[in-house]
Amino acid sequence: MKDFEYYAPKTVKEAVSLLGKLKGDAKIIAGGQSMLVLMKQNMIAPENVIDIKGLSELDYMKYDAARGLLLGALTTHRTIEKSPMIKERYPVLAEMEDNLAAVQTRNYGTIGGNVCHGDPAGDPSTVFVALDAKLKLAGAGGERLVNTEDFYKDYLEVDLKEDEMLTEIQVPNIPANTGVAHEKLMFQKADMGIVGAAASITVNPSSGACEAARIALSNVASVPFRSKAAEKALVGKVLNDKVIEEAAEAMAKEISPPSDVHGSEAYRKEMVKVFLKRTVKKALERAKAKS
Amino acid sequence: MKGEPKDLKFTVNGKAVELKVKPKALLLDVLRNDLKLTGTRTGCEVSACGACTVNLDGKAVRACSILALQANGHEVVTIEGVADGDKLHPIQQAMVDHGAIECGFCTSGMVLSARALLAENPNPTIEDIKKAIQGNLCADSGYTKYIEAIKIAAGKMQGGKA
Amino acid sequence: MSETFGDFSILGKPIRRVDAIAKVTGQAKYANDIEVADMLYGFVKRSPHAHARIRNIDTSKAERLPGVKAIITGKDFNGFKWGWSNPTRDEEPLAVSKVRYLYEGVAAVAAIDKDIAEEACDLIEVEYEPLPGVFTREEAMQPGAPLVHDNRPGNVTVEYHWSFGNVEKAFAESYLLRKDTFNTPRMAKGYIEPPATVAYWPDPSRLVFIGAKGSPYFPYRILSRCFNLPLSHVRIIAPFIGCDFGGTKNDMTNGDFSAVMLAKKAAKPVKVVNTQFDSLTTDLRRHPMAVTMTTGVTKDGIITGIHNEIISDGGAYTRMSPLTHFLTGICMGMPYHLPNFKHDVTCYFTNNCSSAAMRGHGVYHTTFARECQMDMIADELGIDRVEMRQRNIIKNPKPGTIYQTINDIHVATAGTEECLQKVAEAVGWGKKREKVKGNKAYGIGLVAAAFLGGTQLSAHNACACIVRVCEDGTVNYLTGATDVGMGSDTIGCAIVAEVLGLPIEDVDIKRVDTAYTPADPGSYGSRVTVLMGEAAIHAAEDAKKQLREYAAKLLGAMEDEIVFKDKQVFVKSNHARSIPWERLVRMACYDAPGRVIIGRGHSKRASDLHTIADFSTGKGDIGTNYSFTAHAIQVEVDTETGVVRCTDDNNVVAHDCGFPLNTLAVETQAQGGSYHQGVGAALYEEFKMDKGLTLNPNFVDYQRPRAYEAPMTDVIHVITNDPFGPFGAKEASEGSTCTAPPAVINAIHDATGVWIKDLPAQPERVYWALKEKREEVKKG
Repeated sequence: MKDFEYYAPKTVKEAVSLLGKLKGDAKIIAGGQSMLVLMKQNMIAPENVIDIKGLSELDYMKYDAARGLLLGALTTHRTIEKSPMIKERYPVLAEMEDNLAAVQTRNYGTIGGNVCHGDPAGDPSTVFVALDAKLKLAGAGGERLVNTEDFYKDYLEVDLKEDEMLTEIQVPNIPANTGVAHEKLMFQKADMGIVGAAASITVNPSSGACEAARIALSNVASVPFRSKAAEKALVGKVLNDKVIEEAAEAMAKEISPPSDVHGSEAYRKEMVKVFLKRTVKKALERAKAKS
Repeated sequence: MKGEPKDLKFTVNGKAVELKVKPKALLLDVLRNDLKLTGTRTGCEVSACGACTVNLDGKAVRACSILALQANGHEVVTIEGVADGDKLHPIQQAMVDHGAIECGFCTSGMVLSARALLAENPNPTIEDIKKAIQGNLCADSGYTKYIEAIKIAAGKMQGGKA
Repeated sequence: MSETFGDFSILGKPIRRVDAIAKVTGQAKYANDIEVADMLYGFVKRSPHAHARIRNIDTSKAERLPGVKAIITGKDFNGFKWGWSNPTRDEEPLAVSKVRYLYEGVAAVAAIDKDIAEEACDLIEVEYEPLPGVFTREEAMQPGAPLVHDNRPGNVTVEYHWSFGNVEKAFAESYLLRKDTFNTPRMAKGYIEPPATVAYWPDPSRLVFIGAKGSPYFPYRILSRCFNLPLSHVRIIAPFIGCDFGGTKNDMTNGDFSAVMLAKKAAKPVKVVNTQFDSLTTDLRRHPMAVTMTTGVTKDGIITGIHNEIISDGGAYTRMSPLTHFLTGICMGMPYHLPNFKHDVTCYFTNNCSSAAMRGHGVYHTTFARECQMDMIADELGIDRVEMRQRNIIKNPKPGTIYQTINDIHVATAGTEECLQKVAEAVGWGKKREKVKGNKAYGIGLVAAAFLGGTQLSAHNACACIVRVCEDGTVNYLTGATDVGMGSDTIGCAIVAEVLGLPIEDVDIKRVDTAYTPADPGSYGSRVTVLMGEAAIHAAEDAKKQLREYAAKLLGAMEDEIVFKDKQVFVKSNHARSIPWERLVRMACYDAPGRVIIGRGHSKRASDLHTIADFSTGKGDIGTNYSFTAHAIQVEVDTETGVVRCTDDNNVVAHDCGFPLNTLAVETQAQGGSYHQGVGAALYEEFKMDKGLTLNPNFVDYQRPRAYEAPMTDVIHVITNDPFGPFGAKEASEGSTCTAPPAVINAIHDATGVWIKDLPAQPERVYWALKEKREEVKKG
């Protein structure tokens, strides 16, 4: 690893001002579970590292009926996984965390760090797209909110200005008659997903038709991918195997997943269809169970 | 200047430690090279093997994936701090008695992952144990005896408290 | 919990490992934990080409970097070449004129810290002339293909062509002939501890080398020749070793040679530690082989003959390939009676990093092919798969008799029949089972195998032990046989304690140190327990004989009347005439003019037994005795994704290791051997290559078997008490390394009807096979 200068600001304000001062020549480290792997292999070699792991003001998890879930950027994966409130209100997040890397990683890694890493294979970003979560960014010019799906620009590239950092993830309430699910393809438990899918499905309790759908996929593009084609194929219809199959086929036309040692493009394409179908069905069951 | 050593104050195995470390020093480097606690092993560069697992504020973490400076103000327990003097921790004792140990290279990490698990969940199922050591690679035990030993230790520890 | 066997004080029961406390408290020192005063850090400069001529190496910039203490290149070794045996010495400590695989070492630096050494390596300028390479067996065998070694035409590393009986005639008379090709993957050895070495020269003619070596007497001899030192001046010390599994930790790496040469040049200790990346790109791997097996059977499923045609990728250097390929054929006559047999195997040089021995050495490839094909044949003939095996099995020879295979292997005990019965019973073989639940399919594979123990090779293969009785009655036990994690140090201490009638705690073992321990080939070929065990018995008996003479005099009895048990020494016919062990020893040592009790023993059976195997003909005994294993694995196949995992249920190994000296160790070994190197090969592990470049050189992209998916394997001990093993023991666990892959593949077939003949059965491969099958079914 290359040498760097190290800063440990005490407040978000201080961190933001440091970012401004260092003018893009700095990397923020939180839990560092993804970033240090890159640094150790000299794949990135920042001049300055700003350690925000100690900013206790960003380590919180709040829920209120009006705004939904507010996740401080430094909440660890393990905290989310173990929270009774999350299990009750956002079970999909607890399930996602149970499969997200090893316990050691979840104990130190933070939700905000994961989201900002910008790896399209990441699970939280996919689930947050399905949940329509917003990201709160703090910068020298103040705060702004962005939609999760708009935050991702390219492989490992996110919409953070030089002087900005992620402070909070805002997850709206899961609407009535809505179910959300996430699953991914793993060789072994807690692997990085070879592909993954998250689905949020809202059904009309009287007609049984799908009223709204949000479908997000991981590791099929350079960013977490929202499949509008699949959503379109689902909305307005009573969901059965045939409709869901059509949605999967529509989605498959939109994507050209990468090919690597874990799976060819053709296999990934087949698999993302399988996981889209699995998560839509699971979300649908959950929606029905609630209605 | 870039790379200039900085102060690190933390607790290791119950003792307060103060030293100066380079920013790029990993917690693993400091434990092994500066504090000579070599029971924490170096296995891989990619946070995959878990041989360097220690407990940070009671939780299992990988010492290779944390900057030493990030441990500032925190409590670290390494394998050297698990036993109570000559008296083995029940997890260690169960591994010894049950034949869980083979080459021993992953053993420190296994003990520390198990220690954190039992602190949080005193009565784990086989499934819970398997999940807790999913991040600890072993190459020769097949994991079976480790899993059984952790279960045995949990039983003993509960028995002790009751 | 473990059962107990036999009528022993210590053996045949669960024995706590002698190194358990050191390991569980983190006190055990591995090579990377060793520090020596004034130590420098070495780093190896590696080639960015898989095949290239080295035109020039310029070290001048690196020399000027502050903190650099020594720089070496291949030329410093004065043309020295090394290898497994005299004719195969084809490798240089650091490449001099040509590199033959990617990342081969070409130079090395010692500096005051690792960063400086690494930086200095970056400053060394090497001028290469890239050469066209060969990266697969098929490329290597093409006429006119580039040669990896100019003096090795056809890129052939080694080949064997053996014939026993008359396979052609047998095939012509067979009811059914089946020919299938199976592929085994290019695999990592799997140790978590990367190789590390500390070397220093106490004076210019004496070398100390502390390294993760499973065969410390290999570097002992190699470094003696390399540095022109008398063997008495070469001291190799084995620290604790974080697994080996054959290959890299048996012999040498670029880093090992570099540490020694750098230490000589800098006149300071030098430590070189491989990164895991170094290990996964340059350490020796399991050979990838294509095994084409043709088997003939009668209508009743009796095997009439087998013909193997195997091609293999040995990588850049010969290393142990001659032994590996010999082993692919030599054990074919077990565990089934084989009347006619032909074996044609060729290993090719390629510009990949070298292949070598690995747990289940050689035998694993052909066992995989045979056991899968056995199920295929049984299904074709409509015979139950276990029944087909039972019909062909070599029955356990009656005590005092020997079964001889067609290639003159002598089997005194074979528990396969009992192993098969017990496993079949444990999994309820033949009972109706639910095979499909939703998108999950379930199936069981049940297979058998034989493996050699106590390897007999020509040249130095004996094992020796020394038992030193201290004047207070405690014992130092010395052997050159290295425990790389399997627990042989414990077995040795237990045997010595058993023979001397002591608790195991009174016997102490030190790690191997060539300055004090007897020469030994080290840890491979499941040789240690069988040969070291025998040597330990002899050494303890020798020490006992010396004490017995004195005790007989003291107690006024005949020597053969004296019994040693529970720390007491007494007369067999009158237990009251006794003396405590400690007192006897003290008196023996101090009774003027005094005695020094040192027992010595070495293994003899390996050389006294039958004919030692001949590589050119494939005839003779490769083992002192032979273990037998039956193994069932149940798998769950996700039929939509192709993901396969073993289930906790119905995962059973029955193992005839003759007699389980330490039941716990046998169980852990069998569980580990079957999962890591067996199921690992079947489901997870394979290096993906692109023109010599490893595409998955880390433990994230190179999948290793983990805990969540680990089956909770049951181990059944089958006792046969082999007359050639110490207390009846044979090898433990390499058998289950060989049985796991076919058990998994047969289970996948049982679950889905799909044959995965190429390992590993990674999800994508299984998925496409399932899809193809579904489409076939659709077409009808």
